[in-house]
Amino acid sequence: MPELPELNPVIHGKLRLALLSLLSGVDEAEFTWLREKTGSTDGNLGAQLMKLEEAGYVAMKKRFVLRKPQTLYRMTEKGRAALSEYVEALKQLLGNAVISG
Amino acid sequence: MESNVKDTELTERLELIANMMAEGRRSTTRWAWTIVLWGVAFYVAIAWSSGMFGGPIWGQHYMAWPVTMIGTWLLTWTLAGRMHKGAKAPKTTVGRAIMSIWTAMGISMFALLVPLGLGGRADQQVCVAVIATLLGTANAASGILIKWKAQFACAVVWWLAGAASLFGSVTQSLIAFLVAIFFCQIVFGIYAMICESRRRRQVQGAANA
Repeated sequence: MPELPELNPVIHGKLRLALLSLLSGVDEAEFTWLREKTGSTDGNLGAQLMKLEEAGYVAMKKRFVLRKPQTLYRMTEKGRAALSEYVEALKQLLGNAVISG
Repeated sequence: MESNVKDTELTERLELIANMMAEGRRSTTRWAWTIVLWGVAFYVAIAWSSGMFGGPIWGQHYMAWPVTMIGTWLLTWTLAGRMHKGAKAPKTTVGRAIMSIWTAMGISMFALLVPLGLGGRADQQVCVAVIATLLGTANAASGILIKWKAQFACAVVWWLAGAASLFGSVTQSLIAFLVAIFFCQIVFGIYAMICESRRRRQVQGAANA
């Protein structure tokens, strides 16, 4: 019997997964846009983004637009690879469930 | 039982990924209101130019198209600016591609119709055919790009209206144009707005579940 893949715990959290998926489709995104799309609070969103940043999955940069601070996030290559692996692992697990069910 | 719960959870994760990726790439439905706005603008310009309105300003029929088109462009620009005041939507490759299609179409229309009018060669049936064909091209390109059959269907309606306008009378050409505007701008625009609001609710629900 083939060994079942492990799901990456950093990505498996629902909000972190939503954030990585959102970032996978765009060049870069503002903190406020991510908050709007996920409906999360500032504190929770900041904490989850920090975890993704620590894992090297997203990169953050700050800039000023019309004297207002803006925080931008983009997905790194490492993050893209990790999300792809996670999706593959999910599909494999679900495939096994279908076969064994 | 536990296995079923786990499978449901995994399936939910896959759905969440798909929803969020679609949300990031979303570009057309966010602009659905502009489709309706331009449809209404076409109707106003046609009604004005055909003398349906009276009065000192509305009586200037030659001003109908330039004033309506420039006015609508300014209104679109202003409203789009307000839309960006909140969380600014990020740029995507697909978004840039769609924007380039519509910008190029707008410039082509301007570059062709203005000299046609100034050169005194603005035959109404030819103008309707040009406008409809260009709108068909832009809708088809966008529809293919984002794999949206409804938008491609609009392109087909525009192309048919463009071709039909060259055969019948001037009145029949105008009717073809009015029908195409109704289906491709008003009906399709409202449908796109409904899709947008549905998707917004779905995505927020998925992330918060």
